[in-house]
Amino acid sequence: MATETPGRDESWYGAGEEVDRIRGAAFKWACLGATLFGISMVFVLLLYVAVDAIRPFSADAGWYLAVGLAAVVPTVALLAYYVRRDREAGWVGATATALPAFCLLVGSGVAILVIEVFPPHEWFAVVPALGAVVAVWAVHQRVRPDPVEFERFGVVALAALVAFVGVPGAVPSLEAALQSALLWLNWPTMMLYSFAGPIALATGILIARRHESRRAGAVATTLTFAAGVVSILLAPAVGVDDYLLVVVALSVAVPTALYAESVLRSGENVSGLALPVVAYVGIAVAAVVVETYGFTGPAAWLDWEFLTEPHSRFPQRAGIYPALVGSIMMMLVIVVSAFPVGVAAALYLEEYAPDNGATGRVVSIIEMNIGNLAGVPSVVYGLLGLALFIRYADMNTGSVVVGGLTVGLLILPIVIISAQEAIRAVPDSMRQASYGMGATRWQTVRNVVLPEAIPGILTGTILAFGRAIGETAPLLMIGAAAVVFNAPGAFTEQFSAMPRQIFAWSSEPSAEFRHGVLAAGVVTLLVVLLSMNAAAILIRNRYQRR
Amino acid sequence: MSNENVTTSDTGTDTDFQTDDDQSIASPTPGSEAVETGESTRTTGATHTVIESRDLDVYYGDTQALQNVSIQIPEQQVTAMIGPSGCGKSTFLRCINRMNDLIDAARVEGDLLFQGKNVYDDDVDPVALRRRIGMVFQQPNPFPKSIYDNVAYGLKLQGRTENLDEKVEHALKQAALWDEVKDQLDESGLDLSGGQQQRLCIARAIAVDPEVILMDEPASALDPVATSQIEDLIDELAEDYTVVIVTHNMQQAARISDKTAVFLTGGELVEFDDTGKIFENPDNDRVEDYITGKFG
Ligand SMILES: Nc1ncnc2c1ncn2[C@@H]1O[C@H](COP(=O)(O)OP(=O)(O)O)[C@@H](O)[C@H]1O
Ligand SMILES: [Mg+2]
Repeated sequence: MATETPGRDESWYGAGEEVDRIRGAAFKWACLGATLFGISMVFVLLLYVAVDAIRPFSADAGWYLAVGLAAVVPTVALLAYYVRRDREAGWVGATATALPAFCLLVGSGVAILVIEVFPPHEWFAVVPALGAVVAVWAVHQRVRPDPVEFERFGVVALAALVAFVGVPGAVPSLEAALQSALLWLNWPTMMLYSFAGPIALATGILIARRHESRRAGAVATTLTFAAGVVSILLAPAVGVDDYLLVVVALSVAVPTALYAESVLRSGENVSGLALPVVAYVGIAVAAVVVETYGFTGPAAWLDWEFLTEPHSRFPQRAGIYPALVGSIMMMLVIVVSAFPVGVAAALYLEEYAPDNGATGRVVSIIEMNIGNLAGVPSVVYGLLGLALFIRYADMNTGSVVVGGLTVGLLILPIVIISAQEAIRAVPDSMRQASYGMGATRWQTVRNVVLPEAIPGILTGTILAFGRAIGETAPLLMIGAAAVVFNAPGAFTEQFSAMPRQIFAWSSEPSAEFRHGVLAAGVVTLLVVLLSMNAAAILIRNRYQRR
Repeated sequence: MSNENVTTSDTGTDTDFQTDDDQSIASPTPGSEAVETGESTRTTGATHTVIESRDLDVYYGDTQALQNVSIQIPEQQVTAMIGPSGCGKSTFLRCINRMNDLIDAARVEGDLLFQGKNVYDDDVDPVALRRRIGMVFQQPNPFPKSIYDNVAYGLKLQGRTENLDEKVEHALKQAALWDEVKDQLDESGLDLSGGQQQRLCIARAIAVDPEVILMDEPASALDPVATSQIEDLIDELAEDYTVVIVTHNMQQAARISDKTAVFLTGGELVEFDDTGKIFENPDNDRVEDYITGKFG
């Protein structure tokens, strides 16, 4: 028995504190301190900027009372309930609340593109062009069910080339002729046919699949299209151009309705849907109350005018609109250039490149250097863009394409690395299973690896795009304009982007620019950035919970 | 000479495999006088060789995983491969459908004949080969797709999409899974239990109607009930297919196989014979030690 062992220390169980934990505790507290310090610094800075941009102290007490009682208090109370009682429903609620806001941003982005780059008749032209391509594909499939390698691809690509180069050029000249025909063609109906139409069809197909019922699909299609018509009819009351309101309204309504429908259909966590209702109804009520009693809200620098006006000599009138458009267009170039190249490179490195032998060594050197490229300072990429695209390829100085391609190069290594990680995360047993079934490498990549890796690739890539939208130094190098008063109407025109515009404001002599307008610009940039990150998180959560 | 302690059937009794042609040689002595193990009632006569290896060596880089393996695997029977872990059973299995090609370091020497054709000849496309030889892995590895799409995968790869529904149903029935999943074909294969997932993998493999099914310890990750379901299934599959199964479970080999090959450390095939003979009266002492558990 232990008690009988001679010389046994009585307090073996540690009551004498002979186990020293002081160092460990000190280390733990030091780590905590570092964390808190870092986070609070960033937080304080952001708060400072936000206060500058919004000027919350300039509002009436009544305004706060109305907003607080109608919108904030109920929402917070409901959130507290979810946190304590029903977290799953809370997540559903948070998603359902964030989704419309996020979609509003995306829809506005699309609307801006419609205003500035693709006017409705060009957009409208895309639909018959696409239709022609699909028709060629279908006919080809009928006529030649067993095509030789690449035959169908070639035929379809050719059709696409002809259709997209030919038809959009032809539609504007055909417009008059078409107009006199039955279609009542004008900008709103064009958007109705070419935007609401395809979306309604897609929604219908999705719903028909979900419910395994063609009728449900038809109802969904009709409803969606009707929503488009209604938004056009309501446009004068809302005060937005009708052809734009269709775009924004459907961008918000369709994803939200689909999400709500899927929650209702699954019957789980339905109570989560109360959150968006409470929040948005609260905001609406608050708005009505503020309107009727004439309370004044904060005189924020960041207001509707700021978002829709160009820079001006007077800080009160200065806005960020052309730079916002420039940033969106630049993003488009980046997505079109960096995403496919990066994903293709990652696929090659992960799925095709050999691991062993001489080639294997070359590949691993390349991989290592991609990591190094990700760390090269952005000024250097700016220099590269200047040399490559402007001096060598003779593109317009400071144009949207040059900016997009340069920043695309900058984030290419990050896209490659994150895509590689996502591809590597696909379990090898999946590939084995596929090869074991007699799949070729291409079939395995297309049917197994890519579908599994796409969410991860998207998550990583969106974060990389977030970095891209804030890059300033390369834009300085390639000569993006400090200030433009008109948004670029084409990708070859000179542009300014949000960070470039913000940088320009920082050197304005007046303090109102350096504090107010600048802060509003920063907040706009951050909102765009955070919503991109939110999209990444949404995608990740959605696929992780399977 | 490692070949000296290889005892294959041609020195044995009841079945005679000649290798020089494709002709099936009948030695119609059923194994019933020898000890018929387990429930296996298939006769071991009247078969022809589907897979044959001759002096097969496999290296991973500089280390040799298989030495001089020569074996003849008969048609429509269950052939078990047993042996301690690391002795090269999986390696041998992967040689048959050339899955070793996917391992950069692996190098194969010697001949491996499938239906009389050396699969390592230059004119053999491993992809085409794998379409005729199905494989089931140790860990159930259904695709993160619907049950239906899992089973249809191989057929779609080959463009054999006519009567797809019927083929999927048939494969699921053969894999004894149809009754359990017929109402949830659209749900993810990953939502099934482990044993169901493995049967789904078997259904996926047999949907393309291969000639041979290779199974690498298909039940080792499963609970006893699921294991016995898989064993019953293998027994039925041997009516239509040639099954080669790796297992480290000797009772399992004794229960389900007609022929047993014993590999021992170093990648040698030490003895290959009727399962009854191997378990009752092996020729090789090391095999006896291994079977009786004396082998470390
Ligand atoms: N991919 C591989 N690379 C290098 N060596 C391997 C690889 N796979 C197996 N080996 C080696 O080959 C030998 C046989 O392995 P394996 O065929 O998996 O044995 P078993 O299936 O009988 O357990 C082992 O020594 C193992 O370490
Ligand atoms: Mg193994």
